[in-house]
Parts: sequence; structure tokens; C-alpha cells
Amino acid sequence: MILRLCLVACLACLAAFGQQKEQPPEGGPPRPFHLPPAQDFTLANGMQVTLVQYGIVPRVAVRAYVNAGGINEAAHQVWLSRLTGLLMKEGTKTRSSEQLAAEFADTGGSLEIEPGVEFTTVGGVALSDHAGQFIKLLADVLENPSLPASQAARLKADLARELAVAKTQPDDLARERFLNTMFPDSPYGRVFPAESDLKGYSAEDAAAFYRENFSAARTHLYVAGKLEGNLRETIRAAFEGWSKGAETASVSANPVKARSFAVIDRPDAPQSTLYIGLPVAGPNNPDYIPLDVMNTLLGGSFASRITSNIREQKGYTYSPRSQISTRTHLAYWVETADVTTSATGPSIKEILYEIERLRKEPPSEAELKGIQTYLAGLFVLRNTISPDAVIGQLHFVDSQGLSRSYLSEYVQKVMDVQPAAIQAVTEKYLLPDKMAFVIVGDKAKIAEQVKPYETATP
Amino acid sequence: MLLNAQMGGAEQFTVPVIYYTLPNGLRVVLSPDHTAPTVVTALYYRIGFRIEPKDRTGFAHLFEHMMFQGSRNLGKMEFIRLVQQNGGILNGSTRFDFTNYFEVLPANKLETALWAEADRMKGLAITDENLKNQQGVVGNEVKVAVLNQPYGGFPWLWIPQYANTNWYNSHNFYGELKDIEAARIEEVLKFFKTYYAPNNAALAIVGDFEPEEAKGFVEKYFGPIPKSELPPVPDLAEPRQEKEIKAERKDPLANRPALAFAYHMPPRNTPEYYAMGLLDQMLVQGDDSLLYEELVKKHGYAGSISGGINAELGDMFDYDGPMLWSASLIHDASVGADQIMSSADSVIDSLQSKPVEQKLLDRNRIKMRSYIYDSMTQYAGFGRANMLACFALFDNDPARINQLEAHFNSVTPETIERTAREYLRRTNRTVLVWEAGAKASAGGAQ
Repeated sequence: MILRLCLVACLACLAAFGQQKEQPPEGGPPRPFHLPPAQDFTLANGMQVTLVQYGIVPRVAVRAYVNAGGINEAAHQVWLSRLTGLLMKEGTKTRSSEQLAAEFADTGGSLEIEPGVEFTTVGGVALSDHAGQFIKLLADVLENPSLPASQAARLKADLARELAVAKTQPDDLARERFLNTMFPDSPYGRVFPAESDLKGYSAEDAAAFYRENFSAARTHLYVAGKLEGNLRETIRAAFEGWSKGAETASVSANPVKARSFAVIDRPDAPQSTLYIGLPVAGPNNPDYIPLDVMNTLLGGSFASRITSNIREQKGYTYSPRSQISTRTHLAYWVETADVTTSATGPSIKEILYEIERLRKEPPSEAELKGIQTYLAGLFVLRNTISPDAVIGQLHFVDSQGLSRSYLSEYVQKVMDVQPAAIQAVTEKYLLPDKMAFVIVGDKAKIAEQVKPYETATP
Repeated sequence: MLLNAQMGGAEQFTVPVIYYTLPNGLRVVLSPDHTAPTVVTALYYRIGFRIEPKDRTGFAHLFEHMMFQGSRNLGKMEFIRLVQQNGGILNGSTRFDFTNYFEVLPANKLETALWAEADRMKGLAITDENLKNQQGVVGNEVKVAVLNQPYGGFPWLWIPQYANTNWYNSHNFYGELKDIEAARIEEVLKFFKTYYAPNNAALAIVGDFEPEEAKGFVEKYFGPIPKSELPPVPDLAEPRQEKEIKAERKDPLANRPALAFAYHMPPRNTPEYYAMGLLDQMLVQGDDSLLYEELVKKHGYAGSISGGINAELGDMFDYDGPMLWSASLIHDASVGADQIMSSADSVIDSLQSKPVEQKLLDRNRIKMRSYIYDSMTQYAGFGRANMLACFALFDNDPARINQLEAHFNSVTPETIERTAREYLRRTNRTVLVWEAGAKASAGGAQ
């Protein structure tokens, strides 16, 4: 005990009197960053294509973003897009599923189909010298899937198993309730199907979903990496015969901005999983970039206020974070954290404290400058960290209907945000009395702690 | 030459490697890549979670957290802020045979990163309060990853505990909560003094920099740090397994059973080791893999099968001691573990009884080549730094990165067959049956 006290005291001594602290070296002048040049073209059938020559490692990421997914499902068709995606891997009119898997493997890649809320991505990453072949195989999958009825029962059983497992995971439970609350009666709020619905889907339903939603006019193909040969010509030849199809119907989201509070009981849980948030302005709104900066300062980075508070000062949690999650022309802000059960109430208190603090006073210029420089550096990484990252950035601006200049102007716009604007967007958008609170945890142990937050404080 | 032609005659990507050792023993690897104005600084210490005090499970990992709590010139949170405010990201992790710390920063901030890493190699300035705080954080990490999750730590945390017999390989390396909570600050400082020295570390720099300038920074900041007397490495060896191990574990949070099986790996860098790399590709990597076809497509036992060498904690290139190849899946209660193992065995047996078809071998070489390039691309070149630092630490030869393809190319169908017979032996394996739903006893099935 004495030893320990002495040690701490000595270290403090050393720091205070023993020597001046060294300042970190500044480093050299910044090196210019230029976005990797993108080459865009559109096929006669309306399919959009973007090629990006990037990097020195001989691999190429190929991703078709098809504007089809959860938003195209009816209320009792949740995950039909997923069944369709699984069936699309089961072969084409001329290739069995085994042949397809083997031929993709021969390019050094594999076929990945990821149905999302608004977009299904179909693609993968191949070796540069086989990228042309990968693109031809991809075209076959998109244009001629066999969607074999013989495989539907197995794939539905896989989805049912996945659903059952998801229902035991605290994060999935919290996210489902949170999105249900914010987007009631909307595909944006439907995370999981009812098991009975899932059981009723057929290969016919999936074929209908494919016919209605997969077509050239709804597809944007991105190819990024070390490109070799005339891929433009390969793409034209592979995709020009695909039918044009109809545009996606727009879906209304109607996000709800209202105070709500839900506890999902998880007896004996050693942690409570928190989701606290609400809809905010989307990427097309001029407030979006100030919101992005504000979020990074408040909870969206390691050195942010909420993380410093509930992790580095209090030790309540390992992985707290806030984020702005976007859909087309929509966004919501949410703080998520898995906190020790006995610290559930105190964690909520500190999260709300940090929100209130930023609502009431602007950050110092120095704190804001640190966040702005971080975002400027992060921007370079987001555009270079891997070929898929390059694609992700381009798809973001394209799908939001933003101009590509959004990317070239982003850093300047971030740097231009003033401390007063941070306070202003916090005050305008992060309204504690309009937030949805979802807590998955041991109800008996947390009931008293969370009681003060059940209703909005006036 | 012939083999190269079979692989399509494609040009191999050669990674630039500049390698030298400072007089104090620090191994330095430089690999310039001017694709983007960013630079990765990765410092690897040759101390992983295998070797931690026996009454302090999880200590190596807790210690990793303490490296972010303050050094001579950077107080708590100041390291993190320094990197962030210069436009970079950082992290650290604890693995079987190393603990790493890395930053990805704008290229002009390389000197800043090297100064900061050298500062914490020189010494920690931490308090009881910092330790108590990180014990809370790490306790929460274990809860979020293991204790409050169905399939928590399945199979990566559990299967080494059943398959290995040597304590260094078979203890709970995430740590028992009581051990994590018992750690004291003098133990943290002793661990630092013992293992955190230049002669127990490798520094890899990958990205947009000039090698001569980088060498100057490395010399300036790391050169003066004294080397230390390293303790002898304990015996980590595992005996040859002669009898199949069957283990069961009940997961009170899971509602579907799961199954994992694992085999001890051949020694690193032998022909059999490279053959196991290709067998891993053949068996579980991708929709074309043999176990995927058998267990997922043909029998529908599961929607997917995952696995690999050093699975979930790394890959075949970033460990040094004894290792497992493992595979796992989540299935329905209507199918028994024996039935699944019997199907898996039909696939594995076929590899032991006849040479593999050349076409299948070639396909899996291409997959391996693509995997290696993928690793090199990951995270702005961090994946490349990871391989270079590991090859410097474990083999004193980071240029190995450019010889991997040749090693995989020289694996013959006969090597595959021989390797499958010796290493995919049933008596060399551990089968872990993960039971769903039942209430676990306090100590689990161990």
C-alpha cells in the first residue's frame, strides 16, 4: 500500500518538477491529396458505370449497387430481398452453383451478395489479371440467375436459424426496437421478419422480387483498383444486353421525432445495451456537415466527449460511440453503448450531460480544430484505405444525389465550421425530449436506476 | 517456371523491403508506397497473451490498454488526442505472440508518430486511478465480447483451452474477471520493464515517406533507448496429440447448438505448413470450398462455415508458437454433432487417400495469392506492416513477404496428401460441441 502511494507520488514529482515536458514534433508540411480520378459512363440501357484506377496491389474491387432491397418489400415480406440474394448465388441459366463458385474462385475472388435496406450490392474483389472474367461472371449472375426452387427450403431454413440467433443478441434486439420506434410502418423500421412470414416465402416470390427490382436502370457498377486491359469494353459487352427495367418507386420514411422509452428484459445480463437517438438532417441539408463535425466531437471518435467521459474517466463501458447513420435523404443520430449493469443509470446521466453541455456552450476553438483536422485526415483514409473504401465514398455521393464536388469541397467545408455552429446544430437537432431510448438489460436490476429517464424532464 | 505458367503467368507484386537493426536491437522495416499521402507506423512487441503471469490471466491484454494511459511526455488521453488531432487513427491489440500499437496518419506526420511511440517505449507514467479505470474498461470488453453474447468467444477463445495441454497455450487469455480486477500497478510496471524494450520489438513503416528521412527519425527517437536483459522464453511446445479430444460446453444464452473442430498445425515455414495454408483454402475458404459444398450446400446443416489458421485472431502469417487450424458452424438441434462430423470426415478422408487434383490445387493457389494481396491492401497498408513486423520479429527476415508465393507454388499434390494424413488425423483433433440453452454451471464445462 505504502509502496504504491510512494510510486504514484514519485511519478507525479517527476512530471511536475523533474523535467519540462517535450512537445511533439510538428512534422513537415502537408502533402497534397488528390482524389483518385473516376471515369464515368452510362450504357444504352441506363446502367451507370464508374471506373477508378487506384493503388499498386494487383486487385480490383467490383461492386454493382442495385437499387433494390428492404424498401421494396411489403410489410409481410421482410427479408424476401435476402432470400432473393441467396438464391442468386445458386447458379445461372448456363452455370450450376458449383460451377459458378469455382469460376469465381479461379479469378481470385468470390461472389458476395449483400441485400441492404436500399441497395443490394453484388460483386467481390478479384486479381487484376482476372478482373475481366470476374465482370463477365457478375453479368451472368445479375442478368440470368436461375433462382432454383429446389434450393429454397434449405435457404429459408438458414434464414430462420439466423433469425433465431439474432433474437438472442442484445445489440440486434436494441437496434430493432430503436428503428421500429423511429420508422413505424416503414420498411426503414423493419429489421426482422416474423418467423411465420419467412416460412411462407417461395422461390416464386423471390423470382418476382428479382424481376421487379433487378435491372440495368437501377444499377450502378463501380470498379476500383489496379485496372488492367480494356475493362470499359468488357463491361459494355457483358451488360449491354440487360433489360432496362423501371426506376425504383420512392418510399416515404416518415421518421418519428418523439420521446419514447423502452426496456427489453434480459435477465442476468451483466451489461445494458443502450440506443439513444433521433432523426436529424440528411446529407442534402446544409446542416449535415456541421452535424457530422458535432457528432465526431460529441461521441463519434476515441477522444470525443462521451467516450472520454463514460469510458476513459468512469470505466462504465468498452465501446461507446455515437454516429450519424444515413439513408437516401435521411439521417438519424444515435449513441450506442454496452455498459455495466450497475452503471446503466449513471451512463445515461453522463450521455445526457454531455449533450446538454454542448447544447449550452460552444466548444473551444482548439477542441474544434482538433476534430476538424481529424476529419480532414479521415477523409483521405476513407478515400484510400482500400479499393472498396474508394467505392463506398463515390456511392455515398451518387446515391444521395450530391455532386462529386461534394468530395472535393468536403475538407474545406469541415474546416469552415465555427464553434457557434456546433452549438447551434446541437441545440437544433439533439433534443433530449424528442429522443428514443432503448435499453436491453436486466430489468429487475436497472428499473430504479433508469426511472428518472422514463419520461422527458421539463 | 512451369508452376508459374499454371498460375496464369501473372506478374508477382513485389513489396519493397528495407531492413536493418539498431545497435539497441530494434528491428526496423521500411516499405515505401506513394499511392496516397498517408503513412502507417506499427510497433510490435514480442510479448503476446501466451506468456503472462500464471495467476493473472488476461494481463497481457490489460497491459496493452495501459500503454494508452500516459507516458513521460504524454498524459492520459494525450496520445490519443495527438494522433486524432493530426488527422490519424490508432489502435493496439494483443495476440498469441505479440502486442501491437499502430497509427495511420497523414504522411507529413511520420515524425510525430515515431516520437510518440518512442516516448511510450521509454517509460509509462500511470496511476492507480488509470489502472482502476482500465480494469473497468477491460471488464466491459470481456462482457460485451463473451459474457453477454450468445456464442461469446466461440470458438476462438475456447478451443485452444481444450486442444492444448501446455498452460501457455491453454489458459483463458481474455482473462477471468477476478484476475483482471486483481492486477496491481507494480505488476504493470514490472511487465513493462521486462518486455517493452527495443531489443524485443520490431517497427514497420509503410506508406508515403522517403526512407533516408525515416531512418533519421528512427535513429533520433529510438536510438538512445537502452536495450534490456530479456528473460528466457518459456517452453511453449505442445506434444504430438495421439487421441481425439471431445469437449462440451453449455451456453445459457444460445438457442441453437454449434460445433467446432480443430487440428494442431505443422511447424511454421515447413513444406507441410504451406500445404496447410492451401488445405485451409480448399476446405473452408469461399463458396467453392469442400466443406462448404458438403456441409452447407449438400446437407444444409448450416448457412455458412467459418474457420482458418489462427482464426479470428489473425492468420497463418502472424503467429509464432503452436497453432490450430479450426472450423465452426451453428446448426439446428435436429442434427447431431456426430452426423456433421461424419460428413466432414468424408471430405477430409478423401484428401488423405489420394493426391488432390491439379486443377483444385491451382484454384486454391490463386485464392491464396489473392488473399495475400488482400492482406497487403488492408487498412491503408497496415496489413503489409503487420506481415513485415511479424516476419522481422519471428524470422528476422521481413523480405520473406516476397517469397510466400514461391513457397505455395512448390506445394505438390503429394505434400498435400501427406500433410492431410498427418495433421488432419482424427487423433490430432479436438471437437467442441456447443450446447444451446441449458443453464451452465459456474465454471462451464472445463
